[in-house]
Amino acid sequence: MAAPQQNRGPGSAQAEGPAAAEVVSGSARALSGSAGNVSGSAGTSSGSALPGLRPGPRASNAGGAERSGLRPGPRAANAGGAERSGLRSGAAAGGSGGAEGSGLRSGVAAGGSGGVEPSLGIVGGFLTQVRDRPHAVALLFNGEETTYRELYELAGEERDRLARLELDPGEPVGVLADKSPDAVALVLACLLARRPLLLPSPALADTLLADLFAQAGCRYVLAPGGAPGRVAPNPDVAAQPLPADEAAEVAFMLTTSGSTSLPKIVPLGRDAVDRFAAWAGPAFGIGPDRTVLNYAPLNFDLCLLDVWTTLARGGRVVLVDPALAAHGRHLLDLVSRHDVHVVQAVPMAFGLLQDAAAKTGATFPGVDHVMFTGDAVPDRTYAVLPTLFPKARIHNIYGCTETNDSFVHEVDTSATSFPPVPIGRPLPGVEALVLDPDTGAVVDGPGSGELFVSTPFQTRGYLDRTRHADKFTGHPLGLDDRRWFRTGDLVRRDGAGTLHLTGRTDFQVKVRGVAVNTAEIERVLQEHPDVLEAGVAAVPDPIAGKKLVAGVRRAPGSDLTVLALRGHCARHLPRAAVPTQLTLTEAPLPKTATGKVDRKALDRLEPIAPAAVPEAAPAA
Amino acid sequence: MSNVDTIKTFVIAEFLPGTSPAELAADHDLLNDGVIDSLGVLKLIAWVEDRFELAVGDADLDPNNFRSVEAIDTFISGARTAAA
Repeated sequence: MAAPQQNRGPGSAQAEGPAAAEVVSGSARALSGSAGNVSGSAGTSSGSALPGLRPGPRASNAGGAERSGLRPGPRAANAGGAERSGLRSGAAAGGSGGAEGSGLRSGVAAGGSGGVEPSLGIVGGFLTQVRDRPHAVALLFNGEETTYRELYELAGEERDRLARLELDPGEPVGVLADKSPDAVALVLACLLARRPLLLPSPALADTLLADLFAQAGCRYVLAPGGAPGRVAPNPDVAAQPLPADEAAEVAFMLTTSGSTSLPKIVPLGRDAVDRFAAWAGPAFGIGPDRTVLNYAPLNFDLCLLDVWTTLARGGRVVLVDPALAAHGRHLLDLVSRHDVHVVQAVPMAFGLLQDAAAKTGATFPGVDHVMFTGDAVPDRTYAVLPTLFPKARIHNIYGCTETNDSFVHEVDTSATSFPPVPIGRPLPGVEALVLDPDTGAVVDGPGSGELFVSTPFQTRGYLDRTRHADKFTGHPLGLDDRRWFRTGDLVRRDGAGTLHLTGRTDFQVKVRGVAVNTAEIERVLQEHPDVLEAGVAAVPDPIAGKKLVAGVRRAPGSDLTVLALRGHCARHLPRAAVPTQLTLTEAPLPKTATGKVDRKALDRLEPIAPAAVPEAAPAA
Repeated sequence: MSNVDTIKTFVIAEFLPGTSPAELAADHDLLNDGVIDSLGVLKLIAWVEDRFELAVGDADLDPNNFRSVEAIDTFISGARTAAA
């Protein structure tokens, strides 16, 4: 999902290419080193140090017995104190909030309002906040505040539970949880314990989840508060765990939103997510006394920005309850009432805000950064953004789970412009190639082709290496040693070097920010024994952006019903890929001149009459 | 009084064209198999407010109130009782 980057105005120093990437990765490495020491040093020191902070990886192995609430952990001796001073300065900068970055990626720092020491990473940054600003609010959820200290303590309880599982080194755990402060604490506990976690969407079908957990090598699926997970790993699926050395570096394992079959597991390294936070924090002014709206579900990569970067930098996250996420009035209240400064969301969320605001005339002058991502923004929404957010810089971010954010375009609100909005330019450290699909040649300068990217934030590859084919490659012409990701997006580069999305190389479409592949949905429908043919199309929808429409021809004499077919879809597809409109016919589906199902005609099919069933007595 | 039939008729017309009322069980989970998604819930709420002259407050937005025909019926009865 997400798409990345932020395009700063003229004159801003945009870090370029590989050099910037090296700087970033260098600092991130330093960072994760010091992160381990944050906890350690906190343990050794008394008084002002964060009470109860425990050292990273070792602590969980040390067992729950050692955890005693706020008592400094005996393991602290593990951690050298040498780096502590570095930590302090980072913390000081973090505490002051407005301090500018110390030269690293000055272009980025200059673009954001709160650029600070980027080198603590997510874990180290969070622990620093707990130590320095324990009473600051970290999370706001359905009206309830959770401070940094409280969140840390919740995470500590989860860590005790983790420790009691006696996991092998590098062994991942599954986390299945709807968004809540408790769920955030559980994920934090895994990060603090350096325990890789697989965090799939709770909206996935249970059968898919069971397979995913098994494939990742999870023996345990955790829910907050020690509750049993809803799903257990499928014992019939073989684990394909990462090599131990690689597993030890993994923070999150997210999944592609992938429409059907088994979503792909995307392991993200600690360094990669720390580098991302080091970019995103300053770029959008995320820091103390700043409030960030988190719209996406917790399993979305978007949370790396709006939840995890914010917690690493001392901001306040307003968590949108996924159960209420479609209610524009609720969103409006959250943004207005909680003085939100930064809003990142899929375009649909802005459409919902727009409609709710239209009823009351509300605007959001307190918001200073708006980022839409994951999908094309509808014209009607794009047109009102500058009015709705009169003081905000507005960004289109392009990225995906595999690479995280990679491009950004800042909308020039002083000029009249029309969608589609460009995806803009690469983020600092991001490299992009446009490859002509016909000639296989790299397009330099203006031209069109398929987009390849390589980012400082990307995964080393899918967990299932057999699914790499065609997605992770070397340089198409062998010109460098970077690992490139083939996006499947067709782009046009204009004369100014800005990229514009023009289409896909496959049948992938975005539905509410979730990538689904209509060809795969057709395949799932056709796998039902009573289905003769099926077509799926994404059609424009004024609110959702796009909705999925399916036409299905059932076999003669079959008693297949729409409900039964929906059940079939729900068992084999993520919810976002279950067609909104599903029409069952007995007549052949309309065909194009070349004999293929005419997907443009699917929303005009005549459903079969339900007459066969006699009108039963009312059920209630 | 039960409004199950009225609710079924609306759900079928709006979300399940071609389905017979008998086929749609009152306890069928409409959210789980995507018959009604989160935007569908909004549509349903608008209809409930209009058809039954109820105000659905923020506190009632819980999707579980709209998970099945039965749940919707229970919600409407409860809201009417409260309003009476």
